[in-house]
Amino acid sequence: MKLKASLGCLRSAILAGLSAACLAGCEVFNGPLSTFIIRSDFARDSYRLFRYTFIWDCIILLTVLVPMVLALFWLTPRTGPQEQEHVEGTSWLEAAWTITPALILISMAIPTIRLTFQNQPPTPPPGALRVRVIGHQWWWEFQYPEYHLTTPDELHIPAGRTVYFDLESADVIHGFWAPQLGGKRDAIPGHVNHIVLTPEKPGEYYGECTQYCGLSHANMRFRVYVDTPENFAAWVKQQQSAPATAAGNDPKVEAGAAVFAAAPCVTCHTIEGVSKGYIGPNLSHIGSHQTLAGSILSNTPENMAKWIRNPEEVKPGAQMPALGLDPVQIDYLVAYLESLK
Amino acid sequence: MAVAVPKEVVKARENYLTEGGLLSWLVTVDHKRIGVMYGLTSLAFMGLAGFEALAMRIQLAQPNNHFLSADLYNQFFTMHGTTMIFLVIMPLGLGFFGNIAMPLQIGARDVAFPRLNALSYWIFLFGALFMYSSFLFGGLPDAGWFGYANLTERFFTPGSREDFWAIGLLILGISSILGALNFFVTIVNMRAPGMTFMRMPIFVWNILVASVLVLVAFPPLTVGLVFLVMDRFLGTHFYSTVAGATPILWQHLFWLFGHPEVYILALPAFGIISEVIPCFSRKPLFGYAAMAYATALIGFISYGVWGHHMFATGMGPIADAAFALSTMAIAIPTGIKVYSWVATLWRGNFVWTTSFLYALAFVVQFTLGGLTGVMHAQPPIDLQQTGSYFIVAHFHYVLGGGSLFAFLAGLYYWWPKMTGRMMNEKLGRINFWLTCIGFNMTFFPMHFLGLGGMPRRIYTYGAGLHWDFWNMFCTIGAFVMATGILFLLIAMVESLTRGPEAPADPWDGRTLEWSIPSPPPVYNFAEIPHVHSKDAFWEMKYGNNPGHKVPEVAAEHEAGHVPHIHVPAPSMFPILLAAGLALCGIGAVAWLRITLVGLLIVYLAIVGIGFEYPTYGEHPSKERGDDIYPLDSRKVGMWTFIGSESLFFASLIGTYMAYKGRDLIGPTAKEILEIPLTSFSTFVLLMSSLLMVLALAGFERGDIKAGRNWLFATAGLGCIFLGGQAYEFNKFYHEGVTLQHNLFGQTFYTLVGFHGLHVLLGVIWLLTLAFASFKDMVPKKRALAVEFGGLYWHFVDIVWIVIFSLVYLMDKVTGA
Amino acid sequence: MSNNPTASPAEPVHAHEEVPRGTIKAYLEVAGVLTVLTILEIWAFYVPSLQPVLIPILLVLSGAKFALVVMFYMHLKYDHLAYTGIFGPLLALAGFIVIALMILIAYFMGSPPTA
Repeated sequence: MKLKASLGCLRSAILAGLSAACLAGCEVFNGPLSTFIIRSDFARDSYRLFRYTFIWDCIILLTVLVPMVLALFWLTPRTGPQEQEHVEGTSWLEAAWTITPALILISMAIPTIRLTFQNQPPTPPPGALRVRVIGHQWWWEFQYPEYHLTTPDELHIPAGRTVYFDLESADVIHGFWAPQLGGKRDAIPGHVNHIVLTPEKPGEYYGECTQYCGLSHANMRFRVYVDTPENFAAWVKQQQSAPATAAGNDPKVEAGAAVFAAAPCVTCHTIEGVSKGYIGPNLSHIGSHQTLAGSILSNTPENMAKWIRNPEEVKPGAQMPALGLDPVQIDYLVAYLESLK
Repeated sequence: MAVAVPKEVVKARENYLTEGGLLSWLVTVDHKRIGVMYGLTSLAFMGLAGFEALAMRIQLAQPNNHFLSADLYNQFFTMHGTTMIFLVIMPLGLGFFGNIAMPLQIGARDVAFPRLNALSYWIFLFGALFMYSSFLFGGLPDAGWFGYANLTERFFTPGSREDFWAIGLLILGISSILGALNFFVTIVNMRAPGMTFMRMPIFVWNILVASVLVLVAFPPLTVGLVFLVMDRFLGTHFYSTVAGATPILWQHLFWLFGHPEVYILALPAFGIISEVIPCFSRKPLFGYAAMAYATALIGFISYGVWGHHMFATGMGPIADAAFALSTMAIAIPTGIKVYSWVATLWRGNFVWTTSFLYALAFVVQFTLGGLTGVMHAQPPIDLQQTGSYFIVAHFHYVLGGGSLFAFLAGLYYWWPKMTGRMMNEKLGRINFWLTCIGFNMTFFPMHFLGLGGMPRRIYTYGAGLHWDFWNMFCTIGAFVMATGILFLLIAMVESLTRGPEAPADPWDGRTLEWSIPSPPPVYNFAEIPHVHSKDAFWEMKYGNNPGHKVPEVAAEHEAGHVPHIHVPAPSMFPILLAAGLALCGIGAVAWLRITLVGLLIVYLAIVGIGFEYPTYGEHPSKERGDDIYPLDSRKVGMWTFIGSESLFFASLIGTYMAYKGRDLIGPTAKEILEIPLTSFSTFVLLMSSLLMVLALAGFERGDIKAGRNWLFATAGLGCIFLGGQAYEFNKFYHEGVTLQHNLFGQTFYTLVGFHGLHVLLGVIWLLTLAFASFKDMVPKKRALAVEFGGLYWHFVDIVWIVIFSLVYLMDKVTGA
Repeated sequence: MSNNPTASPAEPVHAHEEVPRGTIKAYLEVAGVLTVLTILEIWAFYVPSLQPVLIPILLVLSGAKFALVVMFYMHLKYDHLAYTGIFGPLLALAGFIVIALMILIAYFMGSPPTA
């Protein structure tokens, strides 16, 4: 009885575990970086070809597994332990498994080559929004030549309009990948690479660096915000205007502005109308950002303070030094930066 | 059919494992011992790489984990990859199995160059230790096993970590090339009489093709590493954009090596599986001929597919499409192999050994890895998968579930032959099931993680990305697998201490190694067998009549005397030479004067090997037993070496041509090269070749004095050529074209400089021969010694012919 | 790639016999031809009217020199075919590497800067 009960227990535990595992397991495809969530034409091309190849792969796997299982567990062995059939090759069989895979491969090769050319047009499509992407150790810089805009780590693009990315690097090779918007391409120093895609659905998309680029490669993420055309226009307008800071109203912000101007911040960072540094990210509208420091922290005052206090702790190898500001100064500085909307 | 040695004789003579003391292993040249040393060394490094892997898995078990620092994680993934590829799978496949099984399978007493074989091992060991010694000097290398430029430039990776990596790989590359050359010559020339290419065991086919791949794949890597070392030490800019170059050059050179390398790792595994499955299915291998051709075809195509590692670099749609097609094409011969294994199983009569289980798991896992590989041949899919955990899953299925599982199958298969002991099947089962389940638990979910967008080489990831569950799962799997491998160690120790003695032919095998005692005597075969068919030993046992075993082949022979067998004598020079080479490496990162000492040791050891035995340069002799082979092994080796060297120069020339005309500042070739002077040097070098053949003719007809004088004259012309080059370099230097000045400067000095270095080596070689002839060490019967030196000399000459027209005369051609 | 030297060990062994090599006279003749070819190369380099076809001319001439040295001085013409079978394919791959590197990098980097 006891045994039976515990067996039953075990069974239901296993069943529960399995179904939980299935649920947890499938969750992986619903993540913000999943390649199975398709949000651009480019991603759709990849996905469709993937699906086609995947189906053939499954069929081919079966043509290996089924005969193997049959041979191992179902077919009776030949009589007599030492007898060996002199089957050393059957020409029709060998021809079949040479020619059939070849045909399947051709059926894959045709769309492959078509898409390979289609995804890499020699010139930018007319009317495309051009975005210059520059990889840095370890953050991303996005420039919009059309709007004279520069923004770090968070990219805004309008839904429905084709975007033509120019990928470059300021130091080593990086990889630009926002999976739901399509495949990756490397950002290579001394070279301009391109990605063409048309985002389809407004939303927040995650991206990350996919080419090992040194110590904090893991901390080089970014966000893509696909906006409705109206929202995008509004965003552009906001970015183009000088940072809307509540300077006059808040003494903390004012003190923070003074700290910023006095500290070495100005040598690396640009704030429109305040400083013209270019080594680090442009902070003109940092207060309106969702994330910080290569999109590894959400933009909260605490996180901003943590980052300024000791960047090395958040992002090993970060080029921004710990400035040795006291907590009060950091508090002011954070208030100032967060006010830059 | 004289195959087996009578039992009494076997008992009387010690086997290869126990003869001599422990120190005799240091000077051994016996391929079986060298194989054992390769195996033990690789196993130790596998433990190290496994430790690194477990640490990484713990770090990745949860998001935002702090088990390893970013720095340590990067070191670990770099060295895990470098170790598994260069210090585990490659030396296991070629060094271990190649040595343990290949010479026995072709019925040879040893490899073609036993001392070279020992040399390969010692260089491998010292190179590996050298690379890992970076641990003592500020940490392990941390720029990835692929070492992508320009991250590896000193500006981005200061310190000596990458120096250890680059120089360590250069040293290991020498070991690989020498080992492969040895195997290639052995297989081409030393098969037992009657064993045609189409009667070779399929394992030997795979070792042959893998060896050729090493010979053609390592020269581009060597050149890539030389550029890297120059960038880091001499301030050139081969991979940085400062002078107009591109870091992509590294990727081409690296993957030109790197993709054939994948097949260098996989082919020996294919070979093992093609032996194990027929043996335990009691059937001959299905479609032997197709298998052999598929092996060759895979090797051939694999040299033209490297670009599929670079789809994300933006090579352009034409190159993308070409590499996509060639990569897909490789699926066809690979498919032939898989289906032939399955067909071999069909209606087999199975013996469920651990070895067989590993082979079956291999077929399934390798097929899975191959099928995902088809996706990476298609750029649109690959762009969503490359650099993600999907790739990690893919190549672990190919190299872990593929190669490594095959090696475990091979280990269980040849263990009794190698050690003379049987392994415990029960422990084997535990080992297999834990390893197999653990492996799939670890790596199958990585497909999901990759499709879920998880990139490779990240030491941490944020929460909320839906990767947590499978990462934890993978980590648990890794520990299951590690436990499995632990049981392998237990099984090995158990077998060595308590295992029952193995008979000569425990599996009722098909190939020649099972015809000799376990473990084999030092000389392997008392008499070199004559082969009449494939599956030679099976045919000897059963004749053409399956089901009727010829009773006891061994018993056919009366217990009697074993004929006098020439076994190569031990030599201390291989380990000495390898130590010298290691000193060169140490000197490069520490104190350059040590390098000079190292070079001196290398030179003396080479001379030592050359003149150690009075056989140098003699024609094959009956006493040594090498007169039964159709060609002269050393000459085959020389030509193979020259062919491999051509690829080295091709990579240098290709770089020169690709960078030509891309200088940001002058002066370049057009303004600076002096045709009259170089025409004169060219003429001098051509004439030196004439003198060289005259010298050889002198030695061949026994006129040593004339031969020697012509040798001196040849070396003299070589010196004049070098003098001209020194003058030219000096002049350019004073005109401002230094090594670091522009692209022309660095490519020109490197290409022409390396040629000059070869001329210098040639001069030293010829002078050594000339001076040796004073001591009567190069008599008429050893004229071959001069011929080998001459071949090298002429090779240097033909390289110059190419350089003269491509570099000096064709100044208009650019890479476009 | 596969190297399939034509040497078949099943065949009876002849290779160790003294192979008739080239005579001194032949060697001298080859040297003469080599000299002439080199002079032709340099001449072609200095003739302005040959500039447009200089590249093919040089390729042919240096190819001829290469072949002469390999065949006569390195004895491939006299020796067992297996040696040619080993060297030939490797040499072909060497050519492949040069061309592949030139094309791929040229395409990747675009047209060279006009200095």
